Amino acid sequence: MRKLLVFVITCMVIMAFSLPAMGAKKIVVGFPMYLSGGGAVFGKPSAEGAKMLVKEVNDAGGVLGRKIELLVRDCKSSPDEATRVAKEMILKDNIDFLVGGLTSSQGLALSDVSKHEKIVYIAPIPKVAKMCEKPRLHSYVFRSACNSKTEGRSAAVLAAKHPWKRIATVGPDYSYGWSVTGAFIPWLKNIKPEVEIVHQAWPKLGESDYTPFISVILASKPDAVFSTLWGGHFITFAKQARDYGFFEKVGFVSAGEAGCMEAIRGAGDDMPLGIISNAYDTFWHPDTAWHRDWVGRVNKFMGTKYASSWAGTGYDAMKFLTEAIKKAGTTDTDKVIKALEGLTIDCSVGKLTMRAKDHQAVRGMYWGPVTKVPEYPFPILKPVRYIPADELMD
Amino acid sequence: MSRQNWILIAILVLMGLIPVTGSRYYVFLLTDILIFGLFALSLNLLLGYTGLVSFGHAAYFGIGCYACGLLIKKAGLSFGIAFAATGFFGAAAALIIGFFCVRLTRIYFALLTLAFSQIVWAIVFKWNSLTGGDTGIYDINFPKFLDSRTKYFYFTLAVVSISVLILRKIVNSPFGRILMTIRDNPERTEFIGINVKLFQLLAFIISGFFSAISGGLFAVFNHSIFPDFCYWPVSAEVLIMTILGGMYSFFGPLVGAAVLLYLRMEVTSYTVYWPFILGTILILLLFFFPGGIVGFIENQIKRWRSSK
Amino acid sequence: MSFDLSFVVLQLLNGLTNAMFIFLIASGLSIIFGVLGVLNFAHGSLYMLGAYATYQCVSLFVDSPGQFWWAVIAASVAVALLGGIIERLLLRRLYHQEELNQLLLTYALVLVLGDLARFIWGVDQLSVSRPAVLRGAVEILGQYFPKYNVFILFLGPCVAFLFWFFMLRTRWGRMVRAAALDRETLGALGVNVDRLFTVVFMIGSWFGALGGALVAPVITIRPGMDVEIIINAFIVVVIGGLGSFWGTFLGALIVGPVYALGILVFPRLSMIFIYVIMVVVLMTRPWGLLGRPLQR
Repeated sequence: MRKLLVFVITCMVIMAFSLPAMGAKKIVVGFPMYLSGGGAVFGKPSAEGAKMLVKEVNDAGGVLGRKIELLVRDCKSSPDEATRVAKEMILKDNIDFLVGGLTSSQGLALSDVSKHEKIVYIAPIPKVAKMCEKPRLHSYVFRSACNSKTEGRSAAVLAAKHPWKRIATVGPDYSYGWSVTGAFIPWLKNIKPEVEIVHQAWPKLGESDYTPFISVILASKPDAVFSTLWGGHFITFAKQARDYGFFEKVGFVSAGEAGCMEAIRGAGDDMPLGIISNAYDTFWHPDTAWHRDWVGRVNKFMGTKYASSWAGTGYDAMKFLTEAIKKAGTTDTDKVIKALEGLTIDCSVGKLTMRAKDHQAVRGMYWGPVTKVPEYPFPILKPVRYIPADELMD
Repeated sequence: MSRQNWILIAILVLMGLIPVTGSRYYVFLLTDILIFGLFALSLNLLLGYTGLVSFGHAAYFGIGCYACGLLIKKAGLSFGIAFAATGFFGAAAALIIGFFCVRLTRIYFALLTLAFSQIVWAIVFKWNSLTGGDTGIYDINFPKFLDSRTKYFYFTLAVVSISVLILRKIVNSPFGRILMTIRDNPERTEFIGINVKLFQLLAFIISGFFSAISGGLFAVFNHSIFPDFCYWPVSAEVLIMTILGGMYSFFGPLVGAAVLLYLRMEVTSYTVYWPFILGTILILLLFFFPGGIVGFIENQIKRWRSSK
Repeated sequence: MSFDLSFVVLQLLNGLTNAMFIFLIASGLSIIFGVLGVLNFAHGSLYMLGAYATYQCVSLFVDSPGQFWWAVIAASVAVALLGGIIERLLLRRLYHQEELNQLLLTYALVLVLGDLARFIWGVDQLSVSRPAVLRGAVEILGQYFPKYNVFILFLGPCVAFLFWFFMLRTRWGRMVRAAALDRETLGALGVNVDRLFTVVFMIGSWFGALGGALVAPVITIRPGMDVEIIINAFIVVVIGGLGSFWGTFLGALIVGPVYALGILVFPRLSMIFIYVIMVVVLMTRPWGLLGRPLQR
C-alpha cells in the first residue's frame, strides 16, 4: 500500500520535472560525441570545432535570422550510448538536426536513428563506407568525413610506390578495421598484382598487449605492414613494437590518423619516425593565407598553440549544415536534404563538395611520413600532401 | 478487491493516459522505464527474494534482444511469434547457465554468472556473420499493428503489467515463500527437506525468462541492438537500479529504474561527469539509505505513524 | 606460415611478460580478498591511477638521473596511501554487511575514481618513456626481445618471492596470514585488526599501482584503462584461487601464455577461450587451482 503511494509520487515528480524545453526560435543541433574514454582525445576537439562554427555563425547574426544552439553530449565509445543520447535529444530537447558520433559503429547507429526519426544526420568522423552505400544509405544521412574506402585506397596508392611485395595487415577486429583493410587490399592488388598478403592480424579493439601479434607479424616476414590501429591503440602498438626492431625491419603505412598531432604528441618519444600516416588537418600545411587564417582561428578559440587536427571535423560538418539551411532558406528537413546534395563549402581543407548520389563528401586526407623537424617539439608529417578523394571513391 | 489493487489500477490508468499529453518525450521515457523496470524486477527475483547475486544478468537481457532481433530480421518471423519465443530463449539460456551456477554460493556464484555473461558477450561480438559484430542489428521496425511510439508504449505497458502481475503472484505464492526461506537460511531450508538447488534454478529460469522478455521489448523499441547490451557494465547498472529502488520491496526495482533513467537523462544534459554523480549516489545509498528509496520511505512512514 | 622453434619461444616469452604484468596487478586483488574478504572492483582504478601518477611524477623528476624509478616508487606509494584513505573512510564501514554492498561500493569507486582521473588529467593520451637503460632489445635465438620485457620477466618472480618472504618471516606477515584465517581470534589476542586491515588494503593497492606504473611505458595511459583490466585481473585471480597469492602467480602463468599462443592457433577466439577456462575452473574447483575452500 505505502509502496504504491511512493510509486505514484515518483511518477508525478518525474512528469513534473521532465517537461521538455519547448522549441524556442533557435535552430537546435544535437551533437553526441565520444567525450569519455580512450577516444575522447579526438572527440573533444571535434566538439570544440563545432562550437567554434556556431560561435562564428551566431556572431554574424545566425542563419535565416535565427541563432544556432549546439547541444554537445557525451555518448562514450559505444553505438548503444550514441543511439540513446541521440533519441533523448530528439525527443526531449527537440533538436532540429543531428551531427556527431566518432566510431564507425556509432555512425551506423546514428544513421539508423536519423532514418527512423526522419531527421537530417551528418557524420563528422565515422568513416565506415557502408553507411553511405546501399542498402544502408537513406535520404537523411550525410557524411562530411572521409570514408574508409578513400582512406584504404589512398594508403594503397602510397604503398604501391614502394618496392614492397609482401604485405601484412594489422587492424582492430571490428567494422572500421575490416572496412579500411578491405578497401586497401584489392586496390593495392589492382595497382600491383604481384603483391602478396602474407599475414592478417586482428587484435581485439582496445587490446593492451600487442606483443604476441607483433612477433607473429614479424615471423611472416613482410616487407611492409598496413595498420588501421587508430589513436591510443596505435600508440600502444608502436611502443611495444619498437623494441622488436619492428619499424627498422618493415615499412609501415598507418591509416587511422596515427599521424595526427594528438596521436604523435601522445606517443612522445615512442613515435616511430619514417612511417607513413594520415591526418584530417595539419596546422603547418598548406602554408596559404586561408589555411593560416583557419589555424589562427582554431588556436584562438581553443586557446592552443598548435591547432588540433580534429577541430575541422566538427567544424566542417556544422558548416555543411548551416550552409545548407542558408541555401534552402528554411529548416524544413526535405528542403535541407535537397540543399545538401551537391553543396560545396569552404572549410578547414579548402573546398568540399557533398555528392548528391551517395551523400558522401568528396574528401581526402593529408598523408606523409612522420619526420622530426627543428621547428616543433614533436615530429610532424613531412613532406605532407593532401591526397584528394576524387579518383578513389567509386 | 484490496486497496492495493485499486491503487495499482489507478496507476495503470494514469500511465495509460500519458500519451494524451501529446508529449513524445514522456512516452519514450516511460517505455524505457517500463522495460528496464521489468528487467530490474526479474533480477530482483534472484537478488532480493532468493538471495543470489547475479553479476551477469546482462546476458539474458542481451539474449532477449538478439533472439527477438534475429528472429525478425534473419528468420523473417513476424513480430508476434518472435516476441513470444524471446522469453523461452532467455529461459533456456538461464536453464543451462543456471544449472552450473546454482552449485556455487555467494561470491563464486556472482563470478560464475559474470564469466558466463562475458562468454555470451564475446560470442555475440565475434560471431559477425550472424550478429553483425560491433555494428549490431539495425532497422528492427515496429510491427504493422504497432506502427507508432504510442502504440508500442501501450503494448509495452500491457506486457510489463502482465509480467509484473505474474511475478507478484509468484513471490506471494508458496513457491515465493520457499525462495525467501532459502534467502534467509539456505542450510536450514535444506534440512527441512527442500531441494534448495532446484528452487534456486527455477528462480533463475523465471528471472532469465522475464529478463529476455524485457530485452525483446527493448530490441524493437530501440530499433537496433548492439553487443554492449550483454556487456558486464549493463549487469552492474541493473543491479544499481535494484538497490537504488530497494531490493526488499516488490516494486523497489521499478522505482529504482525510473529514478536512475530519469536522473541520467537530466544530468547528462548538463555535464559529462555522470559516472561521478552515479558513483556518489551509490555510495550515499549504501551508507545512509541501505533499504533503497522505497525502503527509506517505508521507514519514514512507519516512524510517522508510530509517532502519531 | 611455418612456426620455427625460436619463434614459439619468443611467443612464449611474450606471453610470460604479459603474465608478469597481470600477476603484479592481480596479486593485490588477491591479497585484499584473502584477508578482507572484499572483491575489489576498484582495483582496476588503482592500477589506472598508478599509471597516471607515474606520468605526473616523471614530469616532476624531470632532471634527476633515476627519473623513471623515482616516479614508479612515488606513484605507487601515493596510490597506496589513497587506498589507505579509501579503506579507512569507506570500506571499513561495510565489513559487517553483505558481500553485495561491498561489491557495489567498490563499483561506485570505479565510477568516481575514473571521473576524478578524467577531471585531473583530461582525456588526452599520455605516454611514459622507458628508462634509458631498458631501451632497445636483446637477441634471443636470433630474435629481438625488448630489454624492458626481460626486466619485467625478472621483476615479477622477485616481487613474488620478496612478498612471500615478508609473509613468512616478518611479524606483520604472520599477522596478515593469521587474519586471513581467523580475524576474531587475532583480535582477541590483542592485535589491532583494524590497523592491520588498513595496511593490507594499502599493500594490495600498492601492488595494483605498481602494475600500473610499470606497464605505463608499454601502453597508452588513457581514461577507460581501469575497466579494461579489471575483468582480466578477476579471471587470473579466480583461476589461481581467490585469496591465494601463489595461485594468482599460477593463474597469470596460465592466462598469459595461453592467450599469446592461442593467437597462433585460433587468432580470433583467444578471448573466448580465456573466459571458458574461468568457467571450467569455477565449475570444477570454485576455490581455484591453489586456493582453499572458503570457510567464512
